[in-house]
Amino acid sequence: MKKLFKVSAAATMVGLLALAAAGCGGGDKKAATAKANPDVLKVGVTNFADSLEPTDNYFGWVVMRYGLGECLTKFDKAMVTKGWLCDKWEVSADKLTWTFHINDKAVFSNGKKVTGEAAAASILRTFEKAARAKSMFEYESIKGDGQNVVIKTKKPVPTLPGMLGDPLFIIIDTTVKDRDYRKMGPICTGPYAVESFTKAKAVMVKNEKYWDGQVPYKKVEIPSIDDPSTRAMALQKGEIDIAVNVAPGDLALFQGKDKFKVSEIASLRDVLARLNVKKDRPLSDLKVRQALLRAIDREAICKGPLKGTFFPGGPYMAPSTDYGYKDLYASNPDKFNVESAKKLLAEAGWKDTNNDGYVDKNGKNLELDFAFYSSRAELPICAESTQSYAKAVGIKVNLKPVDYNVLDKIGREGGADLIISNVLCMQAGDPEVFMNMYLKTGQEQNGCGYSSAEFDALSDKLGVEFDPAKRREIIIDMQKVILKDAASLVFAHPKTNMVSSSAIANADIQPCDYYWVTKDIKPAAAK
Amino acid sequence: MTNKQIASRLGQIVLVLLGISFITFCLIMLAPGDVVRQMIAGGEDIVVSQAEIEALKKELGLDQPFFMQYLSWLGRAITGNLGVSFMMKMPVTEALWERMPGTIILSVTSTILMLLFSIPAGIYSAVHRGSWFDNIVRGWTFLGVSVPGFWMGLMLLFVFGLKLDLVPIVGGDIGIDTLILPAVTLAINMSSKYTRQVRTAVLEELHQDYVVGARARGMSESHILWKEVLPNALLPLITLLGLSLGNLLGGAAVVETVFSWPGLGRLAIEAITYRDFQLVQGVVIWIALMYMVINLCVDLSYNYLDPRLRKAR
Repeated sequence: MKKLFKVSAAATMVGLLALAAAGCGGGDKKAATAKANPDVLKVGVTNFADSLEPTDNYFGWVVMRYGLGECLTKFDKAMVTKGWLCDKWEVSADKLTWTFHINDKAVFSNGKKVTGEAAAASILRTFEKAARAKSMFEYESIKGDGQNVVIKTKKPVPTLPGMLGDPLFIIIDTTVKDRDYRKMGPICTGPYAVESFTKAKAVMVKNEKYWDGQVPYKKVEIPSIDDPSTRAMALQKGEIDIAVNVAPGDLALFQGKDKFKVSEIASLRDVLARLNVKKDRPLSDLKVRQALLRAIDREAICKGPLKGTFFPGGPYMAPSTDYGYKDLYASNPDKFNVESAKKLLAEAGWKDTNNDGYVDKNGKNLELDFAFYSSRAELPICAESTQSYAKAVGIKVNLKPVDYNVLDKIGREGGADLIISNVLCMQAGDPEVFMNMYLKTGQEQNGCGYSSAEFDALSDKLGVEFDPAKRREIIIDMQKVILKDAASLVFAHPKTNMVSSSAIANADIQPCDYYWVTKDIKPAAAK
Repeated sequence: MTNKQIASRLGQIVLVLLGISFITFCLIMLAPGDVVRQMIAGGEDIVVSQAEIEALKKELGLDQPFFMQYLSWLGRAITGNLGVSFMMKMPVTEALWERMPGTIILSVTSTILMLLFSIPAGIYSAVHRGSWFDNIVRGWTFLGVSVPGFWMGLMLLFVFGLKLDLVPIVGGDIGIDTLILPAVTLAINMSSKYTRQVRTAVLEELHQDYVVGARARGMSESHILWKEVLPNALLPLITLLGLSLGNLLGGAAVVETVFSWPGLGRLAIEAITYRDFQLVQGVVIWIALMYMVINLCVDLSYNYLDPRLRKAR
C-alpha cells in the first residue's frame, strides 16, 4: 500500500512537471502542422438556436448562417439590397404592388424548381407562423405568377425588398410535410443541406443540386463553442478552420501570422446614449449637451479601454453602411475639445461658484444620471469614461447600473439623463426604423423628449420615398440634424471578426451577420 | 428509518417541491422588467415593440392574474406536463431528457475521479501527517479550492488540448475524449475539499480512545486503520457526497460552457437569460428533486452502514 502511494505521488509530480513544461512551450506549433481537409470545412460559432424552424424566434438567422437557407434578396458589404433568389424586381406606379422575378435556375435541394407560386407559399407560411412578420409589413395579397411573386401591400412600403432579405423570409419548399423542421430544417435552396443538427453541433452536407455555382465542400461541421477563448484555442490547434467572432483579447494570437487570416469589419451596431432633453432636465439646454459631447474623447476611449475593437462614434449610422459616415465624422461640430466644453457651460450659466470641482447654477450642481447595463462589456467602460471626462469640465455623472430589461423601461419613460445601449442600426437592410425609433416625435421608444420639426419632416419624407439614392440623401440629412442638435451621444461602433486558417479562402466577415457559411468559402488552393 | 418515516419524507419532498415551484414562479414573474420582452429578446438588447409583447402575453396566458397563471401551470405540472419551452420550442420534459444524459455522465464520472483521488490521498496524508506527501497534498488541495473552475478548465484545455494534443478542444458531443477534461476540472475542485475532509476525519478518529485501546491490545496498524478508523471516519462524508452529487446533477454551468458540454447547467443559464419560465420551473424542480432524493438515499444508507442506527430502530 505504502509503495502504491509513493508511486502515485511520484506520478503526480511527473504529471505536474510535464504540465508546467508544456505550458512554457511557445507558439502554436500544432496549428503549423494542421492542414485543412479539402472535403470538410469546420466552423466554430456560438449558436443560440435549438431548432431550424426559420419562423421560430430568430432561428432563421442560423438557417441562413449555416448555408442552408436563402431569401429573395440579400445585402452586400455596403448593406445595399441585391437580388438573391430573385434577379429583378419592380414596383407599380401606385407603389402598392411589387413584382419579384425568381431566377430561372433556382431549385430547392430536393430538385424542385423555385417558382413564383412556391416562393409565395413560403412567404405566406411565414406570415401564418411568425407574428414578427406582420410588424414588418402588411399585405393585401401574395400570389405566384409563373416565375414572379406578386405582393400587394396595404400601404406603400419603400423597403420591402430589404425586408424580404430578412432570414424570417427564407424561401422553403412548403409542399414537404413529412419532415422534422426542428432537427433537419426545411428544404431550402442554399449550398448546403442538413445531415444532423443539435444546438451543440450541426453537420451540413453539399447540396448536390445547388443552383448558383459550385459547392466547394462535401461536408461542413459547425460546432457551437460558446466560450470565446475555447473557440480561439480550437482554431490555433487546427480543430476548426474558421472561428466566427474571436474575443478582442485573443485576436492578437492571430494577427500578423501567416497561418491565419483575420477579417474584421465594423458591425451594424451603435453604442449610443440617448440624451434626455425633457424640459426639467439639464440636457434640455443645447449648450450643455454640446459641452458634454465635447468633453468626451471618443477616439481615446476606442483606442484605450476598448482596445481598438471599436470605431469611434459621432455620426448616427455605423461606418460599414453607405450613409456618409466619413464626411459626417469629419464635420462633426462636437469633437473632443475641453476648452470649448468649458466655455459652452459658462455661456449656459454653469460655473463652479463653491470650488467643489463641479459647475453649479442656482445653488445646484450640474449632475447627470447615467443608466447602463453590464451584459455588454463596453457599456460600463463608456459610462465610467464619461464620468471621468465629464468631471474634467465640472459635470458630475452618477452611474446607475441596471438590467437591460429595466433600462428598456427607463428609456421609454425617460428615467435618466443618459441611457446607453448597444443597438442595431439597420433592420432588414434599412435604417428607417432605427432613425425614427429614439428621435421622432411620438415614437414608443422616444421617452427622452427630443422633438424637431426639421427631423420629423425629413422622417415623413423618408417614409414615402422609394428611390434608394434619395433615401440615402434624406438619411444623411437626418444625421446632420442629429449632430446639429447634439441629440444623441454615439460613443462607438463595434468591430466584428472572422478568423480563418490560411488554408481557407474567402472567409470574410460581412457587416450583416446573416452570412457565415457561403458557397464562396473554399480551400485556398482552389482560389 | 421506518416505512412511516420514509413515507413522511416523501410527503415532505412533495411539499418542498410545491414551495420551490411557487417561489421560483414569483421570482421570475416579479423580477424588474418585462418577462415577456425578455422572452422574445433573450439576452440580446434588441428593441421589441409593445404590440409584439402584448400578443405573446395573450398567447401564453400571461395576461391572467398572477395566481391564476401559477395555478394553471401547477394543474398541468401535476399531470406531468411541464409546458412548452418558449426558447426551445419543445416540451420542457423533452428538453430536460435531452440534456440529462450529459449531466448524469459528467456528474458520475467526476464524482468517481474525485473519490479515487480524495480517499487514498486523504487517508495517507492523515496517517503520515507532516510528511512531504502530506505537505504536497495540502498545497495541492489549497490550490484546487482557490482556483476558479473556468480558469482551471481553460488551463487544462490549453495544456492537454492545445499543447500536448491529448484531447480535443471542440466538445459538443458526449464521448470519452470530450468527457475527460470537464470531469477532471470538476473532480479537481471537489477533491480538494474532500481530501481535506477525509484527512481531518481520519486524524480525528486516530486520536480517539478506542484507537489507543486497540494499539494497547496489540492490534496491527493496518487493522486499526481499515477496520476501525475508516468506517467511522468516512460515514459523515457520505452526507457531503450526497450534497455534492445533487449539486452536480443540477449541472455545472461554467465548466459546461468552457468545454461546450451539453448539460443541464447551460440549459438553466439559457432558460434564466430568456426568462423562459416554464423551462426555469422544470430545471429548478429537477435540481430540487435530485437534492432531496439523493439525500433521502444517503439517510437510508446510514441504516445499513451504521449499526447503531439499526439498533435504535
